[in-house]
Formats: sequence, structure tokens, C-alpha cells
Amino acid sequence: MLLAVALALLVAQGIGAGLALRAQNERESNAIVHALAFRLIGGRVLRTAEGRELLPPQGRRPRIARLISAPVSPLKPDDVREAGIEKRLEEILSDQGVQVDEVQVFERAIDGAVARRFLPRDDRLAQLRREHHPRHDRMIVAAARMEGEQTWLIARAWREPREPGFLRTLLVQTILIYVFLMGVIALILRRITTPLAQLTRRVGAFAANPALSAEGRVEPQGPLDTRSLIAAHNAMEARIGALLDEKDVMLGAIGHDLKTPLAALRVRIESVDDDGERLKMAGTIEDMTRTLDDILSLARVGRPSDPLEPTELSALVASVIEEFEDVGEPVELGETERIVMPLRATWLRRAVRNLTSNALRYAGGACVTVQREGRQAVIRVSDEGPGIPPDEIARMLEPFERGDPSRNRGTGGAGIGLTLARAIAEQHGGTLTLTNRKEGGLLAEIRLPV
Amino acid sequence: MTDPQSSDLPDRILVVDDEDALRDPLAAYLSKQGFAVRQAESATAARTMLRDEPADLVLLDIMMPGEDGLSLCRHLVETQKTPVILLTARGEATDRIVGLEIGADDYVVKPFEPRELVARIRSVLRRASRAEAAPTLEQDYCFEGWRLDPLKRRLTDPEGAIVAISSAEFRLLRAFLDHPRQVLDRDRLLDMVQGREAHLFDRSVDNAISRLRRKVEEDRTDPRLILTVRGGGYMLASDVTRVDPQPA
Repeated sequence: MLLAVALALLVAQGIGAGLALRAQNERESNAIVHALAFRLIGGRVLRTAEGRELLPPQGRRPRIARLISAPVSPLKPDDVREAGIEKRLEEILSDQGVQVDEVQVFERAIDGAVARRFLPRDDRLAQLRREHHPRHDRMIVAAARMEGEQTWLIARAWREPREPGFLRTLLVQTILIYVFLMGVIALILRRITTPLAQLTRRVGAFAANPALSAEGRVEPQGPLDTRSLIAAHNAMEARIGALLDEKDVMLGAIGHDLKTPLAALRVRIESVDDDGERLKMAGTIEDMTRTLDDILSLARVGRPSDPLEPTELSALVASVIEEFEDVGEPVELGETERIVMPLRATWLRRAVRNLTSNALRYAGGACVTVQREGRQAVIRVSDEGPGIPPDEIARMLEPFERGDPSRNRGTGGAGIGLTLARAIAEQHGGTLTLTNRKEGGLLAEIRLPV
Repeated sequence: MTDPQSSDLPDRILVVDDEDALRDPLAAYLSKQGFAVRQAESATAARTMLRDEPADLVLLDIMMPGEDGLSLCRHLVETQKTPVILLTARGEATDRIVGLEIGADDYVVKPFEPRELVARIRSVLRRASRAEAAPTLEQDYCFEGWRLDPLKRRLTDPEGAIVAISSAEFRLLRAFLDHPRQVLDRDRLLDMVQGREAHLFDRSVDNAISRLRRKVEEDRTDPRLILTVRGGGYMLASDVTRVDPQPA
């Protein structure tokens, strides 16, 4: 932003300086053209009506002495003609009623011979001075052939050398203005961009974690537009926070309201005499409870209330596997490595538990490993079951999808176990991928940044 | 204070829950299990009933309209030393820790298995009668840079990382920490760690030792902390100090 403004300003200033320079050049060439025209016209006046030349006698110099006549043009092949001046000179002459056949204007360096020939005496004195202070070193020579004449009237004028300080003054001026303007603009921009940068940071942080406290909100500041943008953002943040709070309260209420009757049911079935029936009922209640827990967890996974704590990952995974071992499930804890990282134990436990019980449900066995690979901790749950057709893997991670298309409840689960496991991996900044193993069976991989 | 073991009277349990749909069958079930059960539908009602006649144990729902269970629990623990088991619909770890921190003796998540609840009630009553003067604020155990917070059942390694342990492993470790540098044979260990999960534990002391080693030993094929002693037994090869728990 500042850079673009700086560039634009630089261009504008460049144009300004250019214009000033051009105006100066214009002024100079105007002066030259007028001087030349004056001399040429003046020279013409000196003629008699018969056309006889009235050249002053030797030794007497008229005031207008910078005019000579010659039978040939003084133009030499290597002289560069000044077309612009020629044109304007012609115009002025014709405006003054002086008709010329041809005008030639060129610039020439002043050397000693030329100076002696052209310069009047006092000019010659000046020339002497000039040899010490060479101010005029170029002259403009104009040769005009009057209408119907063969001789050339030759006039000359000095091209005033530029004031030596002129360019420098222009440059210094330009730079001073530039620096001043840039300073002012930078201050203004800062006032605009600082609150915007703060707001950007806040929006980023809020997007990553909507549970941020209201204290970190950006104070409305800066220009009016920015101020109202920040105020609007704060209002939105408050609204989102309120909605999320409401959702949490609602989920808590749902959890409470459903679990209490489930608990009552669980107590009541203890009076069922038939053991087999009672166990089936207990199993159903357990399934419902697990499903309810999964749904509630999925709804809360983006906004966990518990903090990240440094935890040893392999012990955590081992403790989940031991729960399965204790109820006689065929799970195997393979290679593990001690990896300490900040995590939310309750959540990660649930993810590992879901992946393991999935493997047990569909493949009848699971092997779990924990390894460090580069800057990642990798938890792998592999089985030797039928795997998943490759084109269905993505769908399997969607909520309420199960590998069994008949959605037969007999296989159990609500089908959000994998979704939740993935959401938990993402909550920890990691990923969950499912792949079919070459040896057969499915491999579920949680990768977490260490 | 009534010592439940001193008489043949059944243990008196007060069930506090605002949902009668759960309270009624639960009370009926517990009565059938041989407890003397009373019911209260709110914290206020529970206070009144306890003033009339104390209970040996209070089964307390956390989420109730009006005064909630945690507040009543704090009051009971501070003034009457009545053991409390909290009932809650939420199983989040923070709730559990808060409940245990304010002095509840145990914590059961709805829906619970009634038999397990009874086992826990018995276990808490047994503890209460055994250790009348148990310190309310338990100190942490420190050994070889490790730290065990007995209240939160939280084990941290020398780097400060949490190492997950099961209840059985916790009790086993605690038995070692209470008897450092002493040889404990399998029967003694089994006796000391027998809790409500005894059915899980008595599968094999060796199995539990092996699991514990997996978590606390650097190389579990070459244990340095929990040593196997020839002739059948195990020993914690470390000194243990007790320090005040770190603030959460």
C-alpha cells in the first residue's frame, strides 16, 4: 500500500519536475527565437529602399552589430539544425511581414575565431572575461535568405547556459516535497492499517478458536470506516460466542435429559429375571449411550473446554488398548515409542477407542502402534478384515455412513465413530487417513504434529 | 458418627436427584441390595433430612435446579465428613477432577451399571470406616523425578508429561510408593490393591506389573524402578518423598 503510494507519488513528482524543466527550456528557446527575430528584422530595416545594403563602415559599430550578411549560408555539413526554432522563427518573421525564402538555425560551439569575427568589441572584452568564466560557450546561429535574394542574413544569439544550480535546486526541491509527503502519507496509512492489521490477527485467531475470550477483542479505532468495521466485527463475535454458548448449554441439557432416563432404564432392567434378556437390554442401552456420547462429542469437538496438556502418547494409547484387553477383545499393542506432546487426553482416547472398536467390529481384531516419524507422531490401527472399496473411503469419513450399506443396526454404532476420530485428529492439528493395506485389511492412521 | 461396621444395622444411604424417574427405581434397587435408603429431590431437602438423621453415604446428582450437587457436596464434606458419590450425566475429565477436588469420594457417570454402583458404594463405605482420620488434603508422591497426585490420580514423568494409568495401575503404584524399597509379594500386592475392579485385577498381578512397567520404565525389558525379586515379589527401587500438590 505504502509502496504503491510511494511509486505513484514518485511518478507524479517526476512529471512535475519534467514539466518545470520543460518550461525552463521553453523560456530559453523563446528568448533565443525572439532575439534572433529581432536581429534579423532589425538587419532588414538597415537596407535602403532600393535594396542596397547599408552596412556600417568599418570601425563604427551600430547597436545591432550581431548581424552580418554573407553570400552563402554558414551551415556546415556537420551542424545540426534546430528545426523547432527554425519553424517558430519563420512564423514570427512572417507575422512581422518579413518574407523569407529559407531559414536555417543551428547551434555551434564558440571558438576563438568565431568569437573574434562575430563579437562586437565589448563582447570581445566579455569574451576575454569568458575565457576565465566560460558562461557562454554555445551560440545559436540563424541564417535567413530574404524573399528573392541570394545573400543570407546571419544573426546569432547566445544560448544561455543553464543556471548551474537549476537542476540541483529542482532535484532538492523534488526530494524535499517527496519526503514530506511520504512522511505524512505514512502516518495516515499507519493510522488506517494498524487497526486493520489488529483486526486481521483477531479474525484469524477467532476463526481458529471461537472460544476466545472477549478481552482480546480489538478496540474500535482509526478512521470512521475502520472503526465501524471493528465494531461490527466485535458485535458478530459476541453473537457467535452467544450462539456457541447456547449450543453448549443445549447439548448439555440434551445429554442430561437423555442420560437420566437411560440410567433409570438401566436400573430397572436389573429386575428382569431372564439373564439373557437383561444382558441384551443392557447392551442396547450401552449402544445408545455410546451413540449419544459420540453425537455430543462431535458437536463439541470444535470447541473443547479442556486445555492441551503435555502427555505421553504411548501410555495413553496403551491404556486404551488395555481397556479392550480387560474385556477379552483380541487387540494387540505393537511397537510403541515414548512421545511427549501437548494433547487433550479424553479426546484422543476417544479417537483411538473409536478406531480400535471399528477394527474389532468389522475385522474381528486390531493391532495398534505408536511411532514418531519426523516431526509427526503416528498412531496406526490396522486390521486384517475386508477393508473398504477405495471409492468409498472418503464417504466413510462422513457422519452416519457405515461400511454396511444395508445400515443394519446389528453391526452396531451410529456411524459417526470415524467422523469423530477425524475431527479429534483435526482438533489436535493432525489428520486421519484410511487406506487399504497391501496385505489386506484396513489401516487407519492418525498423524499429529509434535 | 456412626461406624457402619459396629452394628448390624444396614448402611444408610441418601439418594439426592431431582428426577424421580431415576430416583425411585434406584432407591428400590439399593433397598433390595440391603441398604436403608432415603430420597431427597433437591439439595435443600437433603440438608433438612440430614439434619434429622445423618447418612452413612450420600449419592448426589450434580445437575439439579436450585443449589447444585457440587455445592452440597462441598458442604457435606466440610461439615459432616459424610462420604459422597457424585452422579453426573457428563463424563468430561474436568467434571471428574472438580468433583474429586472438592472432596467427593467417587464419581459415577450416568447411565451406570447398577452392580458397579453398588460395588463402589461398598468400597467407599469400607474406606470410610477404615480410615476415619484420613487427611483431606493428600500430598503428592515424588520418586526419581516422577510425581503422583493421589487425588487426581495423575502421574507425571520427569519432563512433566502426563502418563495415563488405569485405576488398577494407580493402586498398584500407590502400594509400591507407600512401601518403598520393600519387597512385596503377589498376595500382599493383591490384598493392598484390591478395589472395586478386583475382578479385573486378580487376573494376574504380573500382568498389571508389566503394564505399569510399560509406562514408567525406560526399557521394560531391563526395569530399574520396579524390580522383580527372586523368590516371588516386587520392589520399588527408589526413595519416595511427599510434597504438597501443585496448584492446578
